[in-house]
Amino acid sequence: MPNIAVLVKRVPDTNAQILVSGDRVDLSNVKWVMSPYDEYALEAAMMHKEAQGGVVTAITLGAPECDKVLKDAKAIGVDRIIRVWDDSWSELDSNQTQMALTSAVKEISAEVVYCGKSAADTGAGSTGPGVAERLDWASASNIIGLEFEDSGIEVIVPAASGNARTGISLPAVVSCDKGFCKPRKPNVKGIMMAKRAQVEVLAAEIPASGINIVSHTPPPQKAPGQTFDGATNVPAVVAALRNDANVI
Amino acid sequence: MLTYEGVDFYDIESQLSEDEIMVRDMVRDWVDEEVIPNIEEACREGHFPEEWGQALGEMGVLGMTIDEKYGCAGMSYVAYGLVCQELERGDSGLRSFASVQGSLAMFPISAFGSEEQKMHYLPKMASGEWVGCFGLTEPDYGSNPGDMITRAVEDGDDFVLNGAKMWITNGTVADVAIVWAKLDGVIRGFIVEKNDAGFSAPEMTGKHSLKASVTSELVFQDCRIPKNRILPDVKGLKGPFSCLNNARYGISWGAIGSAQACFHSAKEYTLSRIQFKHPIASYQLVQNKLAWMLREITKGQLLALHLGRKKDDGSWIPEQISLAKMNNVDMALEIARMARDMHGANGILDEYPIMRHMANLESVKTYEGTHDIHNLILGRWITGIQAFTRDL
Ligand SMILES: Cc1cc2nc3c(=O)[nH]c(=O)nc-3n(C[C@H](O)[C@H](O)[C@H](O)COP(=O)(O)OP(=O)(O)OC[C@H]3O[C@@H](n4cnc5c(N)ncnc54)[C@H](O)[C@@H]3O)c2cc1C
Repeated sequence: MPNIAVLVKRVPDTNAQILVSGDRVDLSNVKWVMSPYDEYALEAAMMHKEAQGGVVTAITLGAPECDKVLKDAKAIGVDRIIRVWDDSWSELDSNQTQMALTSAVKEISAEVVYCGKSAADTGAGSTGPGVAERLDWASASNIIGLEFEDSGIEVIVPAASGNARTGISLPAVVSCDKGFCKPRKPNVKGIMMAKRAQVEVLAAEIPASGINIVSHTPPPQKAPGQTFDGATNVPAVVAALRNDANVI
Repeated sequence: MLTYEGVDFYDIESQLSEDEIMVRDMVRDWVDEEVIPNIEEACREGHFPEEWGQALGEMGVLGMTIDEKYGCAGMSYVAYGLVCQELERGDSGLRSFASVQGSLAMFPISAFGSEEQKMHYLPKMASGEWVGCFGLTEPDYGSNPGDMITRAVEDGDDFVLNGAKMWITNGTVADVAIVWAKLDGVIRGFIVEKNDAGFSAPEMTGKHSLKASVTSELVFQDCRIPKNRILPDVKGLKGPFSCLNNARYGISWGAIGSAQACFHSAKEYTLSRIQFKHPIASYQLVQNKLAWMLREITKGQLLALHLGRKKDDGSWIPEQISLAKMNNVDMALEIARMARDMHGANGILDEYPIMRHMANLESVKTYEGTHDIHNLILGRWITGIQAFTRDL
């Protein structure tokens, strides 16, 4: 029976307003959630367990405040919850993140890893393929369909023209797009299980970072809109749409 | 759509445990996704969507404070309150369903039932497979149920019930009815099942309030039930009143949900509605109303939370529940009325939730002890003198 891992990340709510104060993003007042694509990865992991049995372990990387996404995963029904962290770490770059997660996947001897196709905060999309590379495993990215076979799994991924159905033998890392399943919701019993569950904390060896973030800047402000009152302004509106906005 | 975040001026959230927040958010999301887009249609058609009852069962919020042994969650009363708040933000009819099932039908079985009764009924009621109702009020006895007419008599291995109940939420759709009737002059609780001979539950129609909730009569004509259907462990008004304490407690939270929905709508509307060149929210009279709403909601939240912690540690008295139910429903109804006014003509449309909440809250003000009955309960607590009745 497969040993299934799912990588989940705590990110600001996608509706949160992101502020930059000084030259750093200020996240002190945002609401935090599980990254939306990770919800699909979690569902895929649960579906895999339902189809073939086994154990599902949710893994996150981060400081203790990230326990909440693990508890959310536990409330959905995963078996184990693991947080990879070392108090000497602060922000990790992609390379360090992939190394830390890879070491946790090895530690639990997982045979298949599900993750979201990208995280809602950075949008980098490098974690799934990066972990696969370090494990020297097969990698399927941005899947939009999933079936479980005795020999492995079959995934549907977008291809140059249409979609490709691809068979993959395990071990493999699978990064999930949305839409191919409906992520299940927690219930009160799951939440009570989550309340009692212990987060296992793992350390990992990571290389030094070669990255130095110089500053953050907010995206440029949208120019204010124009309002036109009354029918006499129709020609002006048409002219603006044609000449300035280039939409007609 | 922006995720609904609730009104939390005094950071009530910092006083909640992680599991309480998770339960609240679970119900909050479900209400946003399934209830709010469909509630107006349900009201127009005057029915309670069956799948909502099932969803409440799947989420595990029915009878959620009852022991896990009976298929329930054994959660805190604060968590139950938060669930009521979110459900009633959707609609008071939805919260009524959950209150009746959990506090009025499952609670008496768990508190006063035999072990066999608990094992037989509670798991199926927790999952939403069986719906429950609570029959106390009669056509001629509302605020003074102590004088009820419905009677039970022993007959061989059975009890035989005669009488009628009125205004019974979920009656027509219920599989299990908790019925309060007099046996040898003493009020006792009986479990009546949908198909028992001599029992019928016609639906009452014509409501302008709680339209998405089923309200029924319960009629007992020589209704025969086996002797093991009496609740063995309670006699007198204590039985129904302990159920009402739990449901009233839930209402004190639920009303906050309605009030938040109305406040939210009034804030959005007055910020976008332009009159005399400016958003009406820029005028002092309107800001005064918004400030008053925020003030009342915040006070109501603090009241409900503190009462909830007292419920959880067992240090509460029923009069505290009366005060919270009365106060919070009163403030919610006033906020709904005020919000209706602030929306101008738009306020009467079903495009906005306020008129529905306003009409619903009129029922909520009356059921589970009318506003003034709670005043009399507090009056008796203050003075030591009961003013419910006297010789004329
Ligand atoms: C939608 C809805 C659902 C309901 N669901 C249920 C249910 O599931 N189960 C159930 O058993 N009941 C239910 N009820 C009934 C509800 O509990 C009663 O309506 C309530 O107890 C009041 O009784 P009444 O309507 O007979 O009013 P009355 O008792 O006749 O009261 C009328 C008015 O007189 C006032 N009054 C009464 N006595 C006094 C007094 N001594 N001094 C001063 N003023 C007084 C009241 O405050 C009120 O303003 C429901 C009611 C509604 C509207």
